Order: sequence, then structure tokens, then C-alpha cells
Amino acid sequence: MNDKKTHCDQLYIVGLLNNDSIIVKEIYEKFAPKVIHYISRNSGNEHDANDIIQEVLITIYHQAQKNNFKLTCPFDAYFFLLCKRMWFNVLKKTSKKEVTINEEILSINDDASLLAFETIEFDERQQLFEEMFQKLGKACKDLLKASFTIKSLQEVADKLGVSYGYVRKKKSLCVGKLTKLVQGSPVFKKIKN
Amino acid sequence: MMKEEEFTFFEAYLSEELSEEERLSFENRLKKEDELSEAFNNYKELYGFLEHKFTTEKATEAFTKNLNEISEGYFANKKKTKVIKFRPWQYAAAASVVLFLGITMFNNFGMNPVYSDFAVHEALSLTERGNLNQLYLNAEQAFNSNDYKQAEQLFSEILVANPNLVEVELYKAISLIEINQFTSADKILLDISNQNSAYKFTAKWYLALSKLKQKKYDDCELLLKEIPGDTDVYELAQELLSAL
Repeated sequence: MNDKKTHCDQLYIVGLLNNDSIIVKEIYEKFAPKVIHYISRNSGNEHDANDIIQEVLITIYHQAQKNNFKLTCPFDAYFFLLCKRMWFNVLKKTSKKEVTINEEILSINDDASLLAFETIEFDERQQLFEEMFQKLGKACKDLLKASFTIKSLQEVADKLGVSYGYVRKKKSLCVGKLTKLVQGSPVFKKIKN
Repeated sequence: MMKEEEFTFFEAYLSEELSEEERLSFENRLKKEDELSEAFNNYKELYGFLEHKFTTEKATEAFTKNLNEISEGYFANKKKTKVIKFRPWQYAAAASVVLFLGITMFNNFGMNPVYSDFAVHEALSLTERGNLNQLYLNAEQAFNSNDYKQAEQLFSEILVANPNLVEVELYKAISLIEINQFTSADKILLDISNQNSAYKFTAKWYLALSKLKQKKYDDCELLLKEIPGDTDVYELAQELLSAL
């Protein structure tokens, strides 16, 4: 991917990353109507479109934040594919009917599909990780939060009134527990490469 | 299943707390042991997930909040513009819908149409023809801003100097209808509609509207029926006729 040229629409990615209201508004003005139209014609309404658009923008935001994300196609195509896919996921969950997954997203033949595919995969993993994190006990959650927010483990130890060695060990065990939860999840077995 | 101490080892490796020897030995094991290697990769990914989750929590919150506001604004605005933003070609359709609804309502409730539903005057532009006389300008401005009392006086002044300006006469009559001076208005309109000028049938139409405003529905109907099909005001006349 790195040898490909960054598309000029990267400005939307940067805008999202910087929480730039002007750019976010522009995204709505320019790209939301197509999504609203599409969802309205596929068993949804404006309210559903509103939710999907927000969800997709948050996903893009996360992916951009984490992976030094480079947009190699027009934002419109990438964004629309993501919205479509997320909407299909919602339909699949809410209705027993078989939903035809759009072939565009399954055939990786252009930059937009490839990028959308990567983002969806990223999102699926993040969601699973978050779900499994919530399954941890309170002690683990609190310790992990403290040790990743406050960089120094000594400070964490002081704050929690325990020894440095304990925090270090406990931290690794909690991440280990999370690793086991994730590895044991059927969803993970399905989505792992 | 991974043993607990393996995780402690992963942690020490990632925080670069292992000695050179320990590090090399661990890397060597990673190459050979698939289960260990897989667990380590997952651990590393989750470590990254947690790091990202907690270090960007505040920024993500701010982003989500802002996004929510923009989204609400967008969808609320969209609802508003849906009503306001008519495309030009929709005006005609919209007008006929309103008219249709109006007509249906009149029929349903046995009510008669009202003058204001049909009295839509074209903006007057006397000065467009190169006449930059201040009096004309003032008259035009008064009429176009619905100040009919003032307009009527100014039109009268113009007519003193130029009694043959039929257009000005017509507009004077419209102003008179607006200020409910029906006798004078009807007299002028009857005069124009009996002469052969471009304003003959427009005058008849306004005469009908004057009768409408006076609630003289029978007179109004008779006048409307005299408006032939090839005139500008024919369609309006027919609409009013069916509403009566």
C-alpha cells in the first residue's frame, strides 16, 4: 500500500483526525445524501442513515489515529462502501432474511474496496477486543486503565497502594487474560487471517 | 494454553526489561514455537489496543461529541430545507397543489374562494423602458412594496400628465381594489376591458377579482366566462371558476 499515491481526499482523513468541524460538516454536506438515499431505499430510513454515518466516521477516525492511515482512493467511494457494509451488518442482525452482501465489497479489485475491506476488518477486531475487555473483572479493568493512562507503573502502584512488582505482574496477567478471552472467542477464530 | 509466566515474559520483553541474553532466547523461542508466537502476537495486538484505547479516550470523546452535534445539525437543517428549497419547475406544480387543496376545501366546507388567493400581481416596472422619471420610480416602488394608497396617488399624478397610459390606469385600478375603493376601480377596469388594448382581458380578470373581493360571486363568474382561451389570464380564470 505504501507505494501507492495518497489521494488528495486525504484532507478529509486529516480533518477527522483533527476533529475539524468545517471538514466534518463538509463530509456531511457532500457525502451524506448518497448514503441516506441508499439506506432509505434498502429497508432503512433517515434515522438509520444518521447512525450508520456516525459509526463509519468514528471507525475511520480510529483507524486513522492508529495506523497512520493513507487514503489511496476518493473519499466518496471509500466512505460509501463502508456505510453500505455497516448497513448490511445491521440488516443481518435485525432480520432473519438472507441479506445479499454486495459483490463490490467482496471482490478486492480496486483501492476503494481494498481500503474499505481493511477498515472493516480493523473495526471488527476493535469491536471484539472492546467486548472482551468489558468481560474482564473490575480489578483488571481498573488496573489496565490506570497503567495505560498513567505511563509510570510506579505511580500506578503508589496510587493503588500496592508494590511496583505487583502492578507489573498484574498488568501482564490482565492483558494475558484478555488475550485468552479473545483467542477463545468464536468470532475471533472466524475473523483472524 | 499459555502459562501465566509467559505473559509476564511478554510484558518484560515489550517494556524492554529483558537482558540481552533473555531477549535473544525469547526471540529464538518465538521462531520455533507456533503457539507461543501466536499468543505473543495477539498479546502485542491487545497491548496496542489498550494503549490506544486509553491514551486517546479524551480525544475520542471530544470527537464523538462534536460529530453528534454536527450530525444533529445536518439532519435538522435537512428537514427545514426540504420544505423551503423548491426547484423552479416545482413552483407550478406546488401552486396547482395548493390551488387544488384550496378548491377541495371550498367544496368540502361550502366556502367561497377569497380574493387574496388569486390576486397575485406582477411586479410593475414602468422605468424599465428607459423612463427614469422620479415620479414613475416612486410609483413603481410604492406598488411593488404593497403601499397601494401611496401608489394610487402617484399613478393618478402620472395620469394627469399622460392620460393615455393604459398600463398605469390598470395598475391604478389594482391599487384601488387593494384599498377597497371598488366603485372607482370597477369604472376604470370596465373602461379598459371595453377598449381594444393589450390589457383588455387583464382588466376583465381584475374586474372579476374586484367582484370576488366584494363577494359578488355571480358577477365574478359572468366576467370570468368572458375571458377567452388564448389569453394570459385564461388559466387563472378557469381555476377561479371551478373554485366558485
